[in-house]
Amino acid sequence: MIPLDILYGAAGAWLAAAVAGLLGGSWRPGLRACCVLSGLGGAAAVAGGGWSLVSANTPVVTPGGAAATIVGGPVQLQATGLAGVFVALLGVVAVAIAWYMPRYHDVGRGSAVYLGAYNIALLACLAVLAAGGMVTFLVAWETMSLACYVLILRHPRSGESARGAFWFLALSEIGFLLIVAAFVILSAKTGATQLGVMAARGRLVPDGWRAAAYLLALIGFGFKAGLVPLHVWLPEAHPVAPADGSAFLSGVVVKLGTYGIALFAFRLLPGGGAWPGLVTMGVGALSAAIGILYALRERDIKRFLAFSTIENTGIIVTAFGAAMVFHAYRQQALWAFLLIAGLYHVVNHGCYKTLLFLEAGVVEHATGTRDMDRLGGLVHRLPRSAVITFVGTLGIAALPPLNGFVSEWLIFQGLFQGFRTGSHLIAILIVLAAATLGLTGGLAIYAFVRGFGIPFLGMPRTRQAAAAREAGQPVVGPALLAVACVALAVGAPVMLIALSRAARTVTGVALGPLLLPGKLTVIPAHTDFSAFSPTYLAVFLTAACAVPALIFLAGRPRAASVSVPVWDGGIVSFKPRMQYSAMTFSAPTRVTFDALYRPSVSVRRASDDDPAGRSGPVHYEAQVTPVFERYLYRPVVRAVERLADAIRPMQSGDVNLYLLYVFLVILLAYLLGAV
Amino acid sequence: MPLWFARGLRRGVVTTRYPARPDSSSVFLPTPPAFRPGQLTRETADRIVAACPNTALRRQGDELVFDVGACTTCGRCAAAAPHAVTSSGEFELASTSRSALVKTIPIRGGLR
Amino acid sequence: MTPEQDEAEAARQVRERIAGQFGRSLHIRTLDTGSCAVCEQEIRLLTAPHYDLQRLGFFFTPAPRHADLLLVTGPMVRAFDVAARKTYEAMPGPKVVVATGACALGGVYRPDAFVHGEVSAVLPVDVWIPGCPPSPLALLQGLSVAVGRLTEKITGLTFTADNASSGGAG
Repeated sequence: MIPLDILYGAAGAWLAAAVAGLLGGSWRPGLRACCVLSGLGGAAAVAGGGWSLVSANTPVVTPGGAAATIVGGPVQLQATGLAGVFVALLGVVAVAIAWYMPRYHDVGRGSAVYLGAYNIALLACLAVLAAGGMVTFLVAWETMSLACYVLILRHPRSGESARGAFWFLALSEIGFLLIVAAFVILSAKTGATQLGVMAARGRLVPDGWRAAAYLLALIGFGFKAGLVPLHVWLPEAHPVAPADGSAFLSGVVVKLGTYGIALFAFRLLPGGGAWPGLVTMGVGALSAAIGILYALRERDIKRFLAFSTIENTGIIVTAFGAAMVFHAYRQQALWAFLLIAGLYHVVNHGCYKTLLFLEAGVVEHATGTRDMDRLGGLVHRLPRSAVITFVGTLGIAALPPLNGFVSEWLIFQGLFQGFRTGSHLIAILIVLAAATLGLTGGLAIYAFVRGFGIPFLGMPRTRQAAAAREAGQPVVGPALLAVACVALAVGAPVMLIALSRAARTVTGVALGPLLLPGKLTVIPAHTDFSAFSPTYLAVFLTAACAVPALIFLAGRPRAASVSVPVWDGGIVSFKPRMQYSAMTFSAPTRVTFDALYRPSVSVRRASDDDPAGRSGPVHYEAQVTPVFERYLYRPVVRAVERLADAIRPMQSGDVNLYLLYVFLVILLAYLLGAV
Repeated sequence: MPLWFARGLRRGVVTTRYPARPDSSSVFLPTPPAFRPGQLTRETADRIVAACPNTALRRQGDELVFDVGACTTCGRCAAAAPHAVTSSGEFELASTSRSALVKTIPIRGGLR
Repeated sequence: MTPEQDEAEAARQVRERIAGQFGRSLHIRTLDTGSCAVCEQEIRLLTAPHYDLQRLGFFFTPAPRHADLLLVTGPMVRAFDVAARKTYEAMPGPKVVVATGACALGGVYRPDAFVHGEVSAVLPVDVWIPGCPPSPLALLQGLSVAVGRLTEKITGLTFTADNASSGGAG
């Protein structure tokens, strides 16, 4: 029995879930059945992914034999270590969402189609990850994109929803074309369609074509992963999709973009000079910084989380890029180490981002709004959700002892060793990337203090926020992810062992004692640099919190205590509007990074020409200039439209002209054939 | 700067040592009045009470009730009856009970 | 025991309690309940080099949570009720309230629609410091009495002078 067999089970469960969803999704029992099947599939995926993580690549399997073809190409499946990481993540996310859906979704119009599309998307993601051949990969990829498009369009009535879904689809398709081009180049130059064979024959690809293929892959997968400036669909699509759809998009689909980059960078096209790695690293660092800077401008919780996804994708891609640079300078240990660190961050981010999106859905469900400035005080009204969200926030802000801290520590330790390449310029560039990630990390803490503090802490700013209730909100799904976050932190050594096995299948480097010299201590690929024990840190921090608590319990004064309100300066009545708002909290960064945001501010006074000089209402509006839409996409779109306009006369509708075309083409074909 | 420093060194420490030692500037402080019971007739007492703008002075029968806490050291009682009122020179007036701040001074009684 | 003796006994107990708890340092929070701000000037003068209350271990703090002693001036304007009570309640025990200035002691304003007239209408006062304004020396003496470093002199003063002398109290 090979891991692929378990994955067949997962695929079968998801197919059954899709059918159940399509047929019965409009009724509660049907929804439940669909969710159960989806969850079972997820559990199987976790098992299969975990197993393939620690075992060698399976041979390529063509189920159904040579006769089974899809779009003219064979169906080829292979469970690899690298893909195993992503499959396990897919499974965890699927289980969490499956437990979340019944309480979150209303059954009715569109829910059947939604459930069917969701499970087909799960299946397609699995197929992408288990693809052993080019055609299977591409077909599965496109299926996934289309299924996600349907997912996003859950509520098709609102215009905003259509725009979000359209951006997603348009950019997915452009990316798909570039991915196809990359694969075609590789396939043509190596003469194979199986990924394993392409990898083995990678040396046959001439340098120029290698560079072209890698760039096409980076941009093509970058569209899906959300690298700047290809990220534009993320903040548009995430708010309009339902919470579990957004969670799935950010938790899994975006990761598949990074999987594609990892596939090309580590498996199919390793080698080549340092510059592919430098470009990847640069794009990653830039995405991270820009992502979090834009996140600080957002009042909508989901848009905020979408930009944070862009930031984390940037971090992952930076790690991959730096790994490639180290490989070019023959630092193989660091090559494998940064790949492991990047993969670890993939898993961590998948867990806590999914958690945060699911909780954003709970908040939206309970209060009816996604706007941070209309929330507040939810920690009292949604206590369990608040605790779970807090765990996720600690994780994503990379605060010890949780998992985000561990994976970011690993990435930073890898980047700090840039001096081992021996080239001053490269070392400086790597350190610049590390500095950018440092800026990003600081801003991320700032952003998530705001992201958790404004909606959850303080006093409710509106009646809707005050009316939120915990009863009936989904709790188990997000709670599972919170437990996973803690487990990934405390059990980091176990995770690292598994990931290093996966990395070995791709890089051939076994880190062993260069990663985990003892049972519980982690070192970054070299013994003389630094060391860290996530398990001990978690234990120590817990103990450090417990000691004051114990001292207090044992030695507190026995006198009666009085409970008094928080000191607010003696204000007679403290109004919720006196609190920080989301925009004022992030005002310092907006002022500092004005050049990036290019805000356009308009202030209109109602009474500028009032002779009595009374002041009336003042309207203040500040908008961020959508830099990428305006200066990159709109010109391209306009150029395409102009081109289309120029070509249109060809389609005049005149039959005689068409007959002329037919004649010309036959003539051309005859001439070419004769040549 | 060095001039100021030198001058300061010559003057020495200016910080008062109060309450460990008496402060020499305390003689200049305005202080609540002290009354001479021998000079206090009913008439004088009434004049003093009328002069006080606050509630510090009241006449109750044969006693002049003086609330030290209410005294603003305006000096009008002394101006109204200089032979009967003088400055007490006391500035250490803190009290842990409000009633200890209300003093009674006997009036001589009868017109003079 | 007469009412005066009861009160003196209660005052003595307050002093003992305070002296035991505020040994070497005291954090003071000032509260202006509507004064003319001259008392505040005298209070501020305490931090000047000539009087220097910090050499005695007294410090000013703006946060009631950190304060041991509440130094109140002003006749307790009614609009200030809530703030005064909130400040008092925000101070953790043990705490002392000192009212200073003729306004705070009830000597200047009669209670009416806008003002209580004296601080003890709203807050439980432990030590009273008369004066208009109380000089920094009087404030230092009052604070020292409040922490039990000095015994109060007021009980021994009679504010009488004999016919011949022109100063001093009996």
